[in-house]
Amino acid sequence: MNISTDPWVWIAAILSLAIFSFLYKENPFYRIAEHIFLGVANGYLVTFYWHNILVPVLFRPLFAGRLILILSFTIGILYFTRFIPRISWLVRIPIGIYIGYYTGAYIPAVIQASIIKQIQGTTLTGANFASWHAGSWGILWSVIVLIGVLCTLSYFYFSREHKGVLGVTAKIGIVFVMIGFGAAFGYTVMARVSLLIGKFQFLLGDWLGIIH
Amino acid sequence: MKLIDRMTRIDRRIIYFILALVVILPLVFPTVLKVKPMAPVEALYEAVDKIPADKALILDCSYAPQIKPEVEPMAVAVLRHAFARRKKVLVLVLYVQMLGLAQKALTQVTGEFNVKAETYEDSIIYGRDYVFLGWTPPPLIPMLGMGESITAVYPADYYGNQTDTLELMQQIRNYNNVGILVCLSGSAIPKSWVAYAQNRFGVAVGVGCTAVSGADFYPYYQTGQFTGLMVGMKGAAEYEELVEENLKVAEKRMASEAMLSLTYAHVIIMIFIIIGNIGFFFQRRRK
Repeated sequence: MNISTDPWVWIAAILSLAIFSFLYKENPFYRIAEHIFLGVANGYLVTFYWHNILVPVLFRPLFAGRLILILSFTIGILYFTRFIPRISWLVRIPIGIYIGYYTGAYIPAVIQASIIKQIQGTTLTGANFASWHAGSWGILWSVIVLIGVLCTLSYFYFSREHKGVLGVTAKIGIVFVMIGFGAAFGYTVMARVSLLIGKFQFLLGDWLGIIH
Repeated sequence: MKLIDRMTRIDRRIIYFILALVVILPLVFPTVLKVKPMAPVEALYEAVDKIPADKALILDCSYAPQIKPEVEPMAVAVLRHAFARRKKVLVLVLYVQMLGLAQKALTQVTGEFNVKAETYEDSIIYGRDYVFLGWTPPPLIPMLGMGESITAVYPADYYGNQTDTLELMQQIRNYNNVGILVCLSGSAIPKSWVAYAQNRFGVAVGVGCTAVSGADFYPYYQTGQFTGLMVGMKGAAEYEELVEENLKVAEKRMASEAMLSLTYAHVIIMIFIIIGNIGFFFQRRRK
């Protein structure tokens, strides 16, 4: 056992234990740690953005003579008009620019990457069979994916009552949806346990020095 | 209270306590559980392994502290692989908060190699073997801009050096000189790399993501948009296994050492789910 002598490690460890104490029940230690976290996180972000974005990207070049940046600065500062009711409508200008920029940049790219390519991925082609790296079983997996996609889409078709053929496909579709939820839940459990392990590795390793 | 009722009303603190025990004990008495690498991880390993000598690996370390236990082992494993194979490496992040973690992984891995290096040639040298480009906002700028010129997007690296003066950057000018881009992230950033860098410039994209994102990302691997995929701590452990097995890089394996805890924790959670469901089933029958 080789307990850390670093005061920052001690602070991190004590705050971690204070947060864990919530698992027993709500208590003042948890609340203190929670408030410290919020305060530190906000303070860290504000100073980080000041030193890494506002000063080097905006103020320094602006004072060095790049006057075009006054435009960016003015548009950015309009976000704060929200606090002045008489001119709060001006906030729509930066929001509009932001939405316009990202919508224009995002929609065509996402249609290609997440819709067209994904639809191609469900078609029954030799390339898709091979993509499973499962030999002749690739055909079966591709067929299952195709059935799953069509049936799931039919489940979300609400313009007709789910009866007859649509009822059957919708029922199959809900099975696929449930399997998807199950997989997502399983992965979420794995993610959360991984984070717990990471925290224990810190407490038992960096702090207490029990593990190396 | 009958046994059936108890099965559905186990105090959550008992569950937490047992879970903590099964996580802690394998960490205190460690055994590296041998994991079998899955096809998506092998595909990523192969892609990194086959980067031609005139091309580089771009490693996007866009992971924040809250997902560090899952993703940092991936960064370390990929860097060990790349440096062991003497690949050229460019490291970047897309958000400013992630700079510290990326630098930490780089410092750790370069330190591991340099402490064993006997000559200058054996060493991992900044500017010759790798460059830490740092960060430039907003994310769309590097994604699109690096297709034209990397040094134009990053005129200075993380340490303030002029990138066009660095030896490595004389050879790696844009995506044409990039073998694969590996994005390590817990968000939708890998999809953006596909949407912008791959669709427009044809860059191969490999991904390491948190387990939560795994179910969302597998379709992108199936369509070939992701060249390879590591999911969660298990994905990291599989990559560590491949690196140690093939390259004999025997260093600390954070993810592999956690596999036993992860396995036992899953078994315990499954047992509690089964107990709860049996109790629920019998309670409903009684009614």
